[in-house]
Amino acid sequence: MTNHWNDIANADCMIAIGSNPVENHPAASGWITAAKERGAKLISVDPRFTRTSAIADIYCKMRSGTDVAFIGGIIKYVLDEMDQYPEKYNMVYVTEYTNASFLINPDFEGPADLDGLFSGYDPAKRSYDKSSWQYQSPEEDGTPKWDKSLKDPNCVFQHLKKHFARYDVDTVCKITGSPKDTYLEICKTYAATGAPGKTGTILYAMGTTQHTNGTQMIRSYAMLQLLLGNIGVAGGGINALRGESNVQGSTDHCLLCHILPGYLKQPTNKDETLEKLLERVTPKSGDPKSANWWQHYPKYMVSLLKAWYGDAATKGNEFGYQYLPKTTKPYNDYSWIGLFEEMYAGTIKGLMCWGQNPAVCGPNVKMERKAIENLDWLVAVDLWETETAAIWKRPGVDPSTIGVEVFLLPAAASYEKEGSITNSGRWAQWRYKAIEPPGQAKEDLWIINKLVLKLQELYARESGPNAEAITKLTWDYGDSPSADKVAREINGYNLTTGKLAASFGKLKDDGTTSSGNWLYCASYTEAGNMMARRDPSPGAFNIGLHPKWAWCWPVNRRIIYNRASVDLDGVPWDKEHPVIWWRNGKWDGDVPDGGWPPMALDPEKTKYPFIMKPEGHARIFGMGRADGPFPEHYEPWESPVDNLLSGTQNDPAFKIWGSEMDLKGDRDRYPIVCTTYRLTEHWQAGQMTRNLPWIVELMPEMFVELSQELAAEKGIVNGGRVIVETARGKVEGVALVTARFKPFQINGQTVHQVGLPWHWGYTGSSTGDSANMLTPHVGDANTMIPEFKAFLCDVRRA
Amino acid sequence: MQEVERYKLSTRVLHWIVAASFLVLAITGLFLFAPWFSAAAWWGWSGVAHRVAAAIFVLVPVLFVLFGNWSRSMGFVKEAFAWGKDDVEWFKAAPDYYFGGDPSRMPPQGHINTGQKLYWLTVLVASAILLATGVIMWFFKGIVTAEVIQWSIFLHSLAFIGLGVFFLVHFQLSALHPRMPESLGSMIWGKVSAKYAQSHHGKWYDRTSADQEAQEA
Amino acid sequence: MAKAILYDATKCVACRGCQVVCKQWNELKAEFTENRGSYENPKDLSPETWIKMEFREIPRNGSVAWLFTRRACMHCTDAGCVTACPTGAVYHHDLGFVAYDKGKCTGCGYCVDFCPFEVPQLDGSRVTGLGRIDKCTFCTTHGLDRIGNGLEPACVKTCPPGALIYGDRGELVAEGNKRVAALGGNATLYGENELDGLHVLYVLTDSPETYGLPKDPKVSAAATAWKDIIQPLGWAAGGLVAGGLLINLIVARARQIRAEEEK
Repeated sequence: MTNHWNDIANADCMIAIGSNPVENHPAASGWITAAKERGAKLISVDPRFTRTSAIADIYCKMRSGTDVAFIGGIIKYVLDEMDQYPEKYNMVYVTEYTNASFLINPDFEGPADLDGLFSGYDPAKRSYDKSSWQYQSPEEDGTPKWDKSLKDPNCVFQHLKKHFARYDVDTVCKITGSPKDTYLEICKTYAATGAPGKTGTILYAMGTTQHTNGTQMIRSYAMLQLLLGNIGVAGGGINALRGESNVQGSTDHCLLCHILPGYLKQPTNKDETLEKLLERVTPKSGDPKSANWWQHYPKYMVSLLKAWYGDAATKGNEFGYQYLPKTTKPYNDYSWIGLFEEMYAGTIKGLMCWGQNPAVCGPNVKMERKAIENLDWLVAVDLWETETAAIWKRPGVDPSTIGVEVFLLPAAASYEKEGSITNSGRWAQWRYKAIEPPGQAKEDLWIINKLVLKLQELYARESGPNAEAITKLTWDYGDSPSADKVAREINGYNLTTGKLAASFGKLKDDGTTSSGNWLYCASYTEAGNMMARRDPSPGAFNIGLHPKWAWCWPVNRRIIYNRASVDLDGVPWDKEHPVIWWRNGKWDGDVPDGGWPPMALDPEKTKYPFIMKPEGHARIFGMGRADGPFPEHYEPWESPVDNLLSGTQNDPAFKIWGSEMDLKGDRDRYPIVCTTYRLTEHWQAGQMTRNLPWIVELMPEMFVELSQELAAEKGIVNGGRVIVETARGKVEGVALVTARFKPFQINGQTVHQVGLPWHWGYTGSSTGDSANMLTPHVGDANTMIPEFKAFLCDVRRA
Repeated sequence: MQEVERYKLSTRVLHWIVAASFLVLAITGLFLFAPWFSAAAWWGWSGVAHRVAAAIFVLVPVLFVLFGNWSRSMGFVKEAFAWGKDDVEWFKAAPDYYFGGDPSRMPPQGHINTGQKLYWLTVLVASAILLATGVIMWFFKGIVTAEVIQWSIFLHSLAFIGLGVFFLVHFQLSALHPRMPESLGSMIWGKVSAKYAQSHHGKWYDRTSADQEAQEA
Repeated sequence: MAKAILYDATKCVACRGCQVVCKQWNELKAEFTENRGSYENPKDLSPETWIKMEFREIPRNGSVAWLFTRRACMHCTDAGCVTACPTGAVYHHDLGFVAYDKGKCTGCGYCVDFCPFEVPQLDGSRVTGLGRIDKCTFCTTHGLDRIGNGLEPACVKTCPPGALIYGDRGELVAEGNKRVAALGGNATLYGENELDGLHVLYVLTDSPETYGLPKDPKVSAAATAWKDIIQPLGWAAGGLVAGGLLINLIVARARQIRAEEEK
């Protein structure tokens, strides 16, 4: 989240799209209710009328996987209005804070010219050469080439208009199946947040990310927010409602295949030396007004290496850079889908499965279960015997034929250990242990400590490839490690004084500082553990920043990009909910995104507000993505209709493995759209809730939600049993026939959609078919997140 | 001393079975009336006793009618409805008589006297109401509307008050009252002295002795 | 000062935290349930389920509305159960709501029969009549008394969107009326005057019937008749007759003895 949960209360309008906050974040959704009490409007966009829709002011149905079309239409509506009534919008924000005025390489062509593709596409590699997607070379003094009147045909704004000109209301509604009048009402309602001083927020979650073009869907949200001046302001932002309490924390600390802690890039085998790596990843800017914050990259990288390898990391050995493993393939191959393809192929021999249950939660789980079966060994660290741990005795298999050896390590639950969690709003909050774990269950920290100590002992004795990567690790946690010590290490030290580092501004690239995660530098200082603070005072301007409650990265900044919340003189766009305010020669309020003076007041010393981009401006045109600088609507991998906008049916840049179990269904055999989701009552792969009788009582069985129309067509009765089948598998469940699902009219064709919760599996006290028996083994072009949310099925009475 | 048979054995057995089940019903029923008895309700076990007693209270007389002497059973029922001039006279004389006054003013009575008839009639009518409402409350919850259940409870209680009050009178007169020394014994042993029969049930005594003479002759 | 709970249906999201926490606090067992083509479960209130959320799909403005309603004891002032309960097991707490003392319950089930909202439930054998009755006690169950210990009821404590608030009834009525006025349209405050005032107040966007609540709930005349006629009549008739019989016995004995002596 750019903002944080409490801040939703400051919004004037909220769109929940690709998210169902009321069902999946019921506690946090109290902030939505708080905003509504102030008169804010809630818009719920979902294929299915959910509990979020139930409290929404406007509900609009939308076929799964058509977010770019849906938001693209709103963007077109806003752009058209900007032509006619620029006074209704914050054009200063668009011109000065975004790259709308930047001139793009004249070679650039987009989907309007190239039938759905951008210039530079190589169909054989399914990838783009992005050289034409770049800004024109800057002026001599480093100033970018731009046209602040936004008229130049090569400027981003004009490209944007051309790109979205095709997204007119009629076309959009033919693609999404949304009712036109409701859609127009949403355009009007949400566009109204573009007025200076008005704010709208977009709440999204896995309904957005889990598509083959999910990243572009999020891009479309971000671009709409930039056009409306809604980034950096209170009650605005683009807010990813994380699916688990600590997903943000796990991402920050790099539980992803392409990064190191603090979003530092994973070195590849082309980054032969530290110098080469830093050369590649450290952005440069000749513009004196650009803060270009990532120019500090080397400081964060060297401090990380010092945290990991301590005295073994010296200038002479590139601070231990060569100890780090380097990837040899595109990062896609290291993603979830890539790893399971490798397991399926038998390349990967062992798996540590830590609080994960792939046998329920993985895409095309029939194939992934088979992949797990192929392993030599599997270590499952969990609270229960998960489906994954019980893989060898799952229904329908003969245990004697399965070779994988499973080790089940009982783990402590969150209440049984101390540590921090980082919520969606980037607040790192310290938690204490409430009770002892039962039986032999141990804290994760205890388990990993024993494991590493043993590995160090073995590598020291027997050696092995790159043994020093393990033996030289700073690993001084003793027999039972304390989370407190780890937290201090993550914050980092001034190695000369031995004191905790005060903030990442103090980190150095000469080996005199350490920091396990530069973003968390300042979370644990000499003044104490900032994450453990519990002062609930609301803080400046009474907008609910709560600056002394826990700690927020970066440097306790509660709303990032907050320097875009003020005009060029440093005065807030919204004086009722100011985030920061330049008064008496300094900034009041939240920790500003850099303390430089406002842009109009001190043109010499000032910096642009979007400090993480080398050009200092937010990117409406985003050249970093794999599948295009603008979001373009593509159909899901499996779709019941042809792409109405172009001849390019699917996102052109996602990887398709196509091993024998990666089957794709065709629309003749499987004409119905299917989607999966979670329920308030169950949690993820279900072990934590399917074993609790009170919860099972509420949601006892696997079910399938479908419309009354489809039920009538198929002779299905409410409460009866149905079978849902895709090219990959089938599941059975109770039919929940409801008026909350309605068929879509897609370009004159009736398209049905059904939905299934994915919580069930074969172990625990409530068992049932796993919805992921149905889902495809393809993922997003940029992130490889599997396309759980839109695929094709058929439905029949069981 | 000459004795007259007043109740056959089967009649006496029937009476005592019904009496016993009635007592159980009355007492367990009272638990619902009286907060200070609630502890005695034994977490609802009194309700079970009530149901068992109710079954006996209803089924035993039914079996008696079905498998016993049909005409004798009907005779019992008829007794309750055979009213005449003497009954009016009885009402006039009874208050003084039962308070120990002059017995000579009492008109001659049949096998059962007017008061007994009235009690017998109450037993029949109240039992019918108790049976009907009881069956509804027992077996028809959730099948009939709440109102039917509610008014069943009302009527069941009302019928019980009528029957219960009359039962007290019955108990006093048959077991304790000085004017009825042989009443209780008659229901135990089946016989009363001829003298008692003559003074308390004159019409019946005359008829039975006439029958007897006729038989003997 | 009477206490009450205000349930605001416009804020409720049917997360059912109240259903779970009620079982947790009051140590109630989970019931075996099955999906009956609805999000709703268990089927109805029971001695093990004192509160459940109801989900209603109704057509509205060409689309659909999904209405959520709290179903639990309404804690009436004119309470059919309290009227009908012969033993005082169901009684009005000093703070106005309807508490329940299991120890005094005989299991007669009159509270089940006389509740206008069909809240108390008897779970037992139809044949023997043996079974358990239980219902929301406003968290005053002996040994688990939150109210007496200065806490709010468990459901209120847990409610994530703040759809439930606990407080002085008078203040909550004022708050409810304020919210209803702000909502406008068909919005109503249910429970202000119903049955002389419920101790669970509902802010509704529509008519009570839309939410499955009786428009004008009444305690059945049979309950009043039972309490006000049958009970006194029973004791009076029983008492008078017993007394009369006693006097009769004494007088008759005395006169008989005198008569015998005269002889």
